[in-house]
Amino acid sequence: MNRRDFLKKTALAGAGLALPGSLTFVECLRAAQWPDLAVVRGVSPGDITREAVGILGGMGRFVSRGDVVVVKPNIGWDRPPDMAANTNPEVVAAVVRMCLDAGARRVKVFDHTVNDPRRCYRQSGIGAAARRAGAEVSYINKRRFVPVKIDGITLKEWPLYRDILEADSIINVPVAKTHGTSRLTMGMKNLMGVMGGWRFRIHQRIDESLVDIAGAIRPSLTLIDAVRIIVSNGPQGGRPGDVKRLDTVIAGADQVAVDAYGATLFGLTGRDLGYVRLGHETGLGNMDLSRLAIRDIRL
Amino acid sequence: MDLIGRKGLLQKIPLTVLRRCTQGIFLLLFLFLFLQTQSQGGDRLGYPVKIFLDFDPLIFISMLLSSHVIVTRLLLSLILIALTALLGRVFCGWICPLGTLHDMAGSFTTRQGRVVRESRLRLKYYILIVLLASSLVGGQLTGIMDPISLLIRSLALGIYPLFNYVIDATVHALYQTEVELFMGVSDFVHERLKGGVMAFEQPLFRQGLLVSVIFVGIVALNLVERRFWCRYLCPLGALLAVCSRYALLKRSISEGCTSCGTCDEICTAGKDWKREECLACLKCRDICPEGAITFGFSGGTDGTVNLRRRSVLASIAAGITSVPLLRIAPGSASGTFHPALIRPPGSLPEEEFLTRCIRCGECMKVCLTNGLQPTLLEAGLEGMWTPLLVPRVGFCEYRCTLCGQVCPTGAIRRLFVEEKTATKIGMAVIDPGRCLAYAHATPCIVCEEVCPTAPKAIWTETVSVRDRSGGEVILKQPHVDPAACVGCGICETMCPVAGKPAIYVISTGETRSPENRLLL
Repeated sequence: MNRRDFLKKTALAGAGLALPGSLTFVECLRAAQWPDLAVVRGVSPGDITREAVGILGGMGRFVSRGDVVVVKPNIGWDRPPDMAANTNPEVVAAVVRMCLDAGARRVKVFDHTVNDPRRCYRQSGIGAAARRAGAEVSYINKRRFVPVKIDGITLKEWPLYRDILEADSIINVPVAKTHGTSRLTMGMKNLMGVMGGWRFRIHQRIDESLVDIAGAIRPSLTLIDAVRIIVSNGPQGGRPGDVKRLDTVIAGADQVAVDAYGATLFGLTGRDLGYVRLGHETGLGNMDLSRLAIRDIRL
Repeated sequence: MDLIGRKGLLQKIPLTVLRRCTQGIFLLLFLFLFLQTQSQGGDRLGYPVKIFLDFDPLIFISMLLSSHVIVTRLLLSLILIALTALLGRVFCGWICPLGTLHDMAGSFTTRQGRVVRESRLRLKYYILIVLLASSLVGGQLTGIMDPISLLIRSLALGIYPLFNYVIDATVHALYQTEVELFMGVSDFVHERLKGGVMAFEQPLFRQGLLVSVIFVGIVALNLVERRFWCRYLCPLGALLAVCSRYALLKRSISEGCTSCGTCDEICTAGKDWKREECLACLKCRDICPEGAITFGFSGGTDGTVNLRRRSVLASIAAGITSVPLLRIAPGSASGTFHPALIRPPGSLPEEEFLTRCIRCGECMKVCLTNGLQPTLLEAGLEGMWTPLLVPRVGFCEYRCTLCGQVCPTGAIRRLFVEEKTATKIGMAVIDPGRCLAYAHATPCIVCEEVCPTAPKAIWTETVSVRDRSGGEVILKQPHVDPAACVGCGICETMCPVAGKPAIYVISTGETRSPENRLLL
């Protein structure tokens, strides 16, 4: 199935309802056999990543044979892995490996960084790890931003990276951190990394803008790296005390639900995050964890 | 014994070919190292990119005179002095990359040029004396005319950005055609060449045009007369000429000479071969119809360039007075601080900095955000073309230490990462008349997000403000903590207020200047 069909199906399955016409009864049943969110804790970042995707039904649910996949980690900052400013390289490598094993033709890894891209890709360890796992790792080529009509609440048009628009499947792999503007940065905020132009301008209306972008991109799967999280001085941290080791990953097809669960790691709820609440209210996803099937295991 | 004669050891290889190959190898090596003067993402550069400067005796000596230090790496230049004392100015004829460029430019004209006038040959010695005399009293103007420094600076600030721009524009044009094939070629070039032959990001430098024009002018002089620079202007050539006075490698003319004058026409030294002016190009040996010219270690003719005493004294005086003349204007060396003179991290205090910085442009080339730019008058006329940070172009990457690694004279000290992140080069100040949160009741705080220190030097205060219609807006307003701010400038670079930013860095608070301080 292609990405468009899949989006329809998983969104509806996540809502826990079967609407007539769009899904057959059998397809609903099949979708309903997997939980909406997988939360896995364990010592090995690679193992818990694989387990989480397995719980959701395997990467084959999100990646079809021959697909061009974009795995979008957070490589935004010039920090080593133990500072948790970027996604854990082992988590990224595991995701890349699973996509290839599911039959992806190409797996691309990139991010529009804040610090110098060469330093970010190298110091974070993601460049080497992703390459070793078989991904095509590339720096942002400014020419490849194309204006996209978004017609959102706040954003009408914005330059987005061509490669993400042309992908068959997008796997968003953020790291969970505190943030001065958005309060927390996880999945939806991580999508800023495919924006061109003067993207920092969206801080003026961050919640609406994030919902607009998330709605335009709609990743197939969001997998939050909470192996280490930043609990203070985010989103870069810098002191050992800023980092808390949780050895956890959270995965799900509904990016609003995933972020809502991620908020609980910081003692907050989805409702406390403006963009999650707005995403729920506009139907982008479901932040009500009580209505979701969540599988929480420890390896 | 004729060491390099027709019947000698190397008779199979025409020596001019050997010389051209050697020149080519050194030029390629120079260009390779130049291209490697850029970040690959790691903490250290993989290559000794400034090695040509390390071997430069003119820089070694002027450093000794102006800052009274022996920079250890520069001791390599003694090897070049020894080589010159033995073989004459082989550096000029066989090694110097600028010399090779001169030869390449000169080949575009079939004219041999005017016969060299002896009086003009003296000019470079006077230039050398001016530079050394000014170094003696603490100036550092040598790097402006030193050929290696000049070449690196010209390439870095002007020629390479130009080269990169042309290729980039071509590639961009191909991409815009939306034709699959052309776009494929464009992407291919982009991927293969970027970060290698092409720069990772188009370099942009102030005064790039000026520097390029000067450089092209110097090279174009070869169309007037071959090796114009080397014969009349080069102070390093003059220094090596002095060192080569008693060189062991000599030129001999046998009895077969018919005084046809063919050798005079192509010789760098002019009508009479002079030991000091000989670049060991060996053209005379090849061109002599009688084969009467040989180079070896025995016999040989001499010649000297006589300097006019009056001119020597005038040069010394000019050199000595140049320094105070440049320092009677208010500037950092005199104790007033220009707010925009944000020096690279690890820079020595200004007075010493100006005695050490040779304006070679290495730091500007390597700076991975392109933030280091040449000064115009921010450091006074004396400090022109020394580096300063322009955060609107590029910030100082928090954990990067590359500029100190490439500075050949220690004007910018090499720092470990821990030292560097604790080094302040200035501090950020907020303009509340432009800042969105202060002036326009609009949330932002991008500056706080990108601030790299831990804890962040920018802290926020949640306040309630009124917008135009009287409605309440709750937002965060940024403040700078001058004790924590290192002046890296990323806040200024990323501030969404285009043009003139709402937060900008001034040099106050820089660690290297105890007087340039805000706090008690």
